[in-house]
Amino acid sequence: MLEGHISKSFDGELAGLHIRVLEMGGLALDQVRAASRAYSEWDVHNAQLVVDREHTLTGLGTRIYDDQLTLIALRNPVASDLRAIIALAKIAAELDRAGAEACKIARTVLQQSGRPGRGTSSDARHLANLATALLRLSLEALDQMDGELAAQVIDRDQDLDAEYAAGLRRLLTRALENPLRLDVTVEAAFALKALERIGDHARNAALQIVTMADQVTVRRQPAS
Amino acid sequence: MNESTSTVTAPGPAPAVIAAAGEERPPDAPLNLRPAARGPAANRLDGAVIGPTVGTVTVVDPVFSCRDVNVHYGAKHAIRGVSLDVGKRQVLAMIGPSGCGKSTFLRCLNRMNDTISGARVTGQILLDGEDIHDPGRDVVQLRARVGMVFQKPNPFPKSIYDNVAFGPRLHGLARSRADLDELVCTSLQRAGLWDEVKDRLTQSGTGLSGGQQQRLCIARTIAVKPHVILMDEPCSALDPIATARIEDLIDELRESFAIAIVTHSMQQAARVSQRTAYFHLGSLVEVGETDRIFTNPRHRLTEDYITGRFG
Repeated sequence: MLEGHISKSFDGELAGLHIRVLEMGGLALDQVRAASRAYSEWDVHNAQLVVDREHTLTGLGTRIYDDQLTLIALRNPVASDLRAIIALAKIAAELDRAGAEACKIARTVLQQSGRPGRGTSSDARHLANLATALLRLSLEALDQMDGELAAQVIDRDQDLDAEYAAGLRRLLTRALENPLRLDVTVEAAFALKALERIGDHARNAALQIVTMADQVTVRRQPAS
Repeated sequence: MNESTSTVTAPGPAPAVIAAAGEERPPDAPLNLRPAARGPAANRLDGAVIGPTVGTVTVVDPVFSCRDVNVHYGAKHAIRGVSLDVGKRQVLAMIGPSGCGKSTFLRCLNRMNDTISGARVTGQILLDGEDIHDPGRDVVQLRARVGMVFQKPNPFPKSIYDNVAFGPRLHGLARSRADLDELVCTSLQRAGLWDEVKDRLTQSGTGLSGGQQQRLCIARTIAVKPHVILMDEPCSALDPIATARIEDLIDELRESFAIAIVTHSMQQAARVSQRTAYFHLGSLVEVGETDRIFTNPRHRLTEDYITGRFG
C-alpha cells in the first residue's frame, strides 16, 4: 500500500515512517504491560521504569511528526499517500496518549497512595490483559495493514468498556462497604479508567488503520 | 464490520517489534514488516481496465458539450469516445501521461485539428448549444470565441499595442481609435501586464520576458472577447515566479471565462482548477471535483498516476 512509486526513495521514506510508528507502538505496549504489572504487584521499581521511559516515547512521537512534515513539504503527496501519512501521524498521537495513561498508572504506585485490595487488583489485572491485547492487535493490524484485524479491535473495545463499567461498579460497592479507604478507592478508579482509555486509544488507532486499508474516511469516535 | 473472532494466521514469523514485554527479544532482532498484500509493486497497471468514465462528465449549463468524440490521425486512434462538458466560469484541468490525448482533445474544441493533415474528428461538440462542425460554421469566428494560449509564448513580431489590437481590428470589434485604445488597455490590465508596458506600447512584443510574452498572448486572446480560453501547458516554459503570476491570472479570468487547461503538473492542476479530467491512452478515465480527484480518486489508474506509481 505504501510502496510502488516510481521514486524508490519515496517508497523508502514512507516505509521508514511506517517502521517508526511500529517502533513507537512496541514501546507503548511495553509501557502498558510494565505499568499494569507495577500496579498489580505494587512494584515501585517497574513503576519508575515506566515514568523514566515516558520521554523516549514522546521523543519518538516528535520525530514522527517532523518526518510527516518533511514528507508533505518535499513530496506533495496526494490521495492514498497523503491519507496514509496523516493516518500514521494520528496513530502515533494515539500511542503517545496510551503511553501517557500507562504513566498515570505508574505514578499511582510511585505516590504510594494506597495499595488496592485483592478484588480491585484482580479487576485491574483483567482490564490490563484486555487493554494490552487490544493494543497488541492494533499494532499487528498496523504492521500488516489489515483492515479486518483493525475492525476486530474496534469490536472488542466494547467488551473492554463493559468490563470497565462492571469493575467500577464492584469498586464502588467495596467503597460503600469500607468508606475509610475512600482515597484508595479514588486512586483505583483512576487506574481502572486509565486502562479503559488505553483500549480507546487502541481503538482510535485501529480506526485510522481501517482508513488506510479501506480508503474510506472514518471520523474518530468520542471517548466513552 | 467483520465480527469474526477467528485467529488471523500471519504469513511468516511474528514481527519482532510486537514482541511482548518481558519475553526474550534478541537485542539485534530486525524489524520484519510484511510485504505488501497486493504483491510486487513493479507494475500496478497489470489487469487495470479503463472501462467507462468514472465521475460525472456533465455540468449544468455547459459552455462546451462533447459527446462520443473520436479522433484519428490516419490509422492511429488518438481519442476514444470521450464525452465531457466544460463549465462556465470555472477551470477544467486535463491531466495524463505523455501521449494520452489531452492536447489532442483540447485542439478539438477550436478545430485546430483541421490544420493537421490526416486528422479525422467524429462525434458531437457543441459550443453554447451549436455544433462547431456545422458546414456553415465560420472557423475564424469560432477561434475568436474559443481562444488558445500555447506552451511557447508566440507574440506576433509587432508592437505590444498591435499584438493586442490585431484581433479586434480583424473582427471589427472597435469602431474608432479611441475604442481600440480602450480595448487594448483593458485587455492588458486584465492580463496583469498594463503597468509594465504602458510606457512602451510601441516596442516589439518579442522584446518582453517569457512571462510577459505569455501574458501578452493572454491579453491578445481576451481582446477578442472569447467565451472560452484554451491553454496548452501555458507555464511549462516559464520560471516559478512567472508561473505563479499566470496561475493567479487564471484565477481572475475564470470569473469571466470558461477555461480548459492541459498541464503536466499535477500540482498546477490542483492549484488552478475546479474540475480535473484524467486521460489515459486516448480515453477519459475519470473526471470530478479537483479536491476529490486529488484526495480520493475512484479509479485505480487515476490513483496510480497522481501518486506517481506509473508515468
